[in-house]
Amino acid sequence: MESLKLSKEKLGDFVSKLTDKELLVPQKEGEALKFAPLAGEDMPELDYENTSVPPKNAVFPHTETMLQFELGKMDMQVAAGDEKEKVLLGVRPCDARAMVIIDNLFTWDVDDPYYVDKREKSTVVGLACHEPCSNCFCTSVGGGPASTEGLDVLLTDLGDSYLVQPLSEKGEVLCQAGADVLEKASDADIQGAEKAHEEAANKISRHIDTAGIPENLPSLWEHELWEEVSRSCLGCGICTFLCPPCHCFDMQDEVEGFEGRRCRTWDSCMFSEYTMHASGHNPRHSRRERTRNRINHKYSYYVDKFDVIACVGCGRCINLCPVNIDILDILSKVREAL
Amino acid sequence: MVDLDKLRTVAKETVSRDDVKYLIGWSQGTFGYRVSPHFVKTPQEVDSLTFSPLCSNNLATYLTLTEKLPVPRGEEPDTRKVALMVKGCDSRAVVQQLIEQGITREQVYIIGCPCQGVVDLQKVDEKLGEGVEPAQASWENGQISFQLPDGKTEAFPREDVLADKCITCRYPNPVLSDILLWDEVEVWGSDDYEDVKELDSKSPEEKWAFWQDKFSSCIRCYSCRNVCPMCYCEDCILDRLNPTWMFRSNNVVENTAFQVARAFHLAGRCIECGECERVCPVDIPLMKINRKLYKEVREKYEFEPGLDPESKPLQASYRPDDEEDFIL
Repeated sequence: MESLKLSKEKLGDFVSKLTDKELLVPQKEGEALKFAPLAGEDMPELDYENTSVPPKNAVFPHTETMLQFELGKMDMQVAAGDEKEKVLLGVRPCDARAMVIIDNLFTWDVDDPYYVDKREKSTVVGLACHEPCSNCFCTSVGGGPASTEGLDVLLTDLGDSYLVQPLSEKGEVLCQAGADVLEKASDADIQGAEKAHEEAANKISRHIDTAGIPENLPSLWEHELWEEVSRSCLGCGICTFLCPPCHCFDMQDEVEGFEGRRCRTWDSCMFSEYTMHASGHNPRHSRRERTRNRINHKYSYYVDKFDVIACVGCGRCINLCPVNIDILDILSKVREAL
Repeated sequence: MVDLDKLRTVAKETVSRDDVKYLIGWSQGTFGYRVSPHFVKTPQEVDSLTFSPLCSNNLATYLTLTEKLPVPRGEEPDTRKVALMVKGCDSRAVVQQLIEQGITREQVYIIGCPCQGVVDLQKVDEKLGEGVEPAQASWENGQISFQLPDGKTEAFPREDVLADKCITCRYPNPVLSDILLWDEVEVWGSDDYEDVKELDSKSPEEKWAFWQDKFSSCIRCYSCRNVCPMCYCEDCILDRLNPTWMFRSNNVVENTAFQVARAFHLAGRCIECGECERVCPVDIPLMKINRKLYKEVREKYEFEPGLDPESKPLQASYRPDDEEDFIL
């Protein structure tokens, strides 16, 4: 597919061509940067490192109504399939890869209609990273600052313009819609972008060699490292809720008056009640077991099942952990122990 | 003045004691200006202990957070003490836990670290950026000096980089300790609750809009609850399903209910360590609510939590002259 170019001045014009779709761009909500619908005439602001809340919210919302019911009545309304077409603009390549990783889970034995509907109706426009954050390690887990996996279009900042590379049919459709403001990219533009991609990859300063970890991690089941790395854990949901490939959910019936709904909400394996049995027994009774599960799930079980590590190296769990539990530190301890 | 040799010597002696299980202090983190809580079990591990303006974590949380697992058959429960390093604010959390009988005095050995205020890493990030290599900081003559990646240092006036709670801190010295590591520092702060008054002066509509905006970004990760040394109920109303006091749904109504419940359960108990606000991944200014309640309690009942281990909890005390003109 042919590479195009968009002048930064025309970004607003480009966006205004996409009126038939809901446009989600990184925006401050309260103090947090997250993907939210762009209001009215606002211009998208694409000058940021990464959002604190990943865009997984757009395909796997924190809270999702699955069906609605009325007490005393037999019929229920299933709430899937009425999703609007969306464009996510400015998604970092790691976060887009995460969607491909969790596609495996949500389409594994049966397709999850809620997730699949949102995913099919989303066009993901990525923005290659120029300045990776301190704790980015995407290149160690199969990604990169300009990885195209999961993206329909990749934008690369060229200074006063973006190189626009459509990567899929949805991407082509989007570029056709904005054809008036897009121009053909020159070879120099493409080479400039390639150079920027390479420079960004070289700026990534944290790495981990994952070879051998997925196969051998469960052999460290009773190793003392798990107690060591989990002692300071607070058992909160930051590392999982803000993890782009984390996908666990809880389901609850919520009834107010006679109106009820079944909804699913994000859940976290770091919460004590996550594995609480009805009997009152909890097989993961302390933070040691929960931390061990979190790492094993990402770096071993998921690989075993879907042949991909459920971590994209975005660094959010490292940046935001209140007690400096650092997954790269854990993995390097794992390496030493293997 | 901070004396790290003294700190490590005392730590070594402490963990060598037969009646001490382990010691909790701070150590250099894995990157930038981060610090980790550090659990020391043997004298060999004390060398990584540190104390600096980066030691924000209130370690008193671990006294109540650590799981009480069943004792294996044939074994005796481990009743040894936990040794805990505390700043002024942290010591108030320990005192409040003692007041509430969340812990007993025999369970804890308190190592007091008089403190000159800890930094707000967001303020530091804005000035110096987030480094990759682990780096240190120290207090120096009214300034805070930061080690830079090139080996040089850069100093800023304390008030430019201190956490807000430290600028108004009135208790930098531990209010209770078994051993004090160095001389007490001079108290610099006073607190007129200017920030609370400012928000109070707004109309109910403005206040509602302010909090709706903030609470809409809550992701319900419960880090504010889990980090709080005063949030240690074994059975939290947030986790209860039967009855369900609060829905798990993330929307502004439920998030508000959660945050209001959290704040009310801390009225007369919050010791203003500011940990909830520090850890919030979406930067909700939680101390504005906590401080509002602190101010009310302080003014209406002349009560401050976490100061005297012999005192009673606010809700369990009554004086005939307690103000009651706000009761309808």
